[in-house]
Amino acid sequence: MRHADLLTLAQWLSPSFPVGGFAWSHGLESAIAANEVRGPDDLFAWLDGVLRHGSGRVDAVLLCAAMAPGADAVALHAEAEARAAGSERWAETLAQGGAFARTVSALGGEAVPELAMPVAVGVAARRLDLPPGLVAAQYLQAFAGNLVLASVRLIPLGQTDGQAVVARLSRVCEAVAQEAAVSRLEDVGGAAVLSDLAAMDHETKDVRLFRS
Amino acid sequence: MFDDTGSQTMQRVRGRAAVGFSSRADGSCRLSQLDQAGSAKAFLPSTHRAVPEVVFLNTAGGLTSGDRLEYRMTVPQGGVVTATTQTAERAYDAGGGPSAEVSVGAEVAAGGRLDWLPQETILYDGAALTRRTEIALSGDATCLLAETLVLGRAAMGETVGRLALFDSRRVLRNGIPVFADPVRLAPDVLSDDGPALLGGARALATVALVGPGAEDAAHGLRALTAPEGVRWAVSGWNGRTLIRAVAGDGFEMRRAVAQWLQHLRGGPLPRVWQG
Repeated sequence: MRHADLLTLAQWLSPSFPVGGFAWSHGLESAIAANEVRGPDDLFAWLDGVLRHGSGRVDAVLLCAAMAPGADAVALHAEAEARAAGSERWAETLAQGGAFARTVSALGGEAVPELAMPVAVGVAARRLDLPPGLVAAQYLQAFAGNLVLASVRLIPLGQTDGQAVVARLSRVCEAVAQEAAVSRLEDVGGAAVLSDLAAMDHETKDVRLFRS
Repeated sequence: MFDDTGSQTMQRVRGRAAVGFSSRADGSCRLSQLDQAGSAKAFLPSTHRAVPEVVFLNTAGGLTSGDRLEYRMTVPQGGVVTATTQTAERAYDAGGGPSAEVSVGAEVAAGGRLDWLPQETILYDGAALTRRTEIALSGDATCLLAETLVLGRAAMGETVGRLALFDSRRVLRNGIPVFADPVRLAPDVLSDDGPALLGGARALATVALVGPGAEDAAHGLRALTAPEGVRWAVSGWNGRTLIRAVAGDGFEMRRAVAQWLQHLRGGPLPRVWQG
């Protein structure tokens, strides 16, 4: 592991990297509007479910698969769309993956194609001397951190309470990422049905701060 | 054998049924292949409807540890076929043994349409089932897919805590995945009452219409009367419309799914659904 590579990854996944993550709530906005997520414990449980049994695990597996030498990134991108819970979830990963790829490509080195976010990050991370499980763990933590930020605006939730949720989730991110690194995509299934319903419901909501 | 209570002593089920059609000059479909082996059967009840309705049946009356069942169907160019199952499939307590394995495969040629509308799958406490459904579309083919899972028998007050379910539903177009909805249910999911998972639901359903312009169906579905006792949502984009739903029991879910399917088919349900 090279320290410089770890810094590059931290830069890519930091909230200041211009992928527009602040615009998306992954369906949390509807779950909060429906009173299903009211405080830090609910938020932890919602994110825990999404990470372990929903899009978090799928994204981690896609990312690890995309890091493999010779991986077919276009096929993984199609798989990401096939597994998307709804149109806004797909728009969310497509917009962020596109912005991520454009920014990384502009910074030099081999160009990264505009693909679904976890696939784009996985392709870019091939140049880093870092194990896929570590990249995926960081990716999941960044994903959870972004959704906690969204919740701080919506619930309302204190900044410290939000960070406590992120801290509690670090073990979940690590465990899911380690499993993802050794999982075959065709064996990965989910059960985060209510989070998927929340993301689909969001499309028809009148008042929306977020694009998903 | 030595005792009549242990499911371990039951003979394991093997079955394979394959149904194929060819196109007539007038565009209708004609049965051209019917292979049946073991406990899997397929038949075409006379319906006086223009579209053939294939009915698959597991004559063993359910699935238990180590069973293997396979259903296959092919739809020719421009052909329209509906396929379903005779009754709800039941996955019984596997007694901790290896999973029952079910494989469902379909090929739909360009211009064709398959409605794969199996009746619900009831998962008993202790069930172990791996099912892989794969529908391979060519060119501009369309498919309508519906799957309902019911956790336990509500009438028996059964609570399902032990389960090993992997239920993969995939649709590919020209070999590229366009819809994938793999469900995995295990004890850690069933004991987790978190707000992102099942929310205590006992029935889960997915309905997917995949085909050129299929996203347009979302609008009409949203305008339907909300079914009682069912939480559901619709999304449509890029050649697909998806419905996901959860309900407190299988009865309410069945009524809701029937309503959506009638709307998406622009016509009646398969005959066996109405029994």
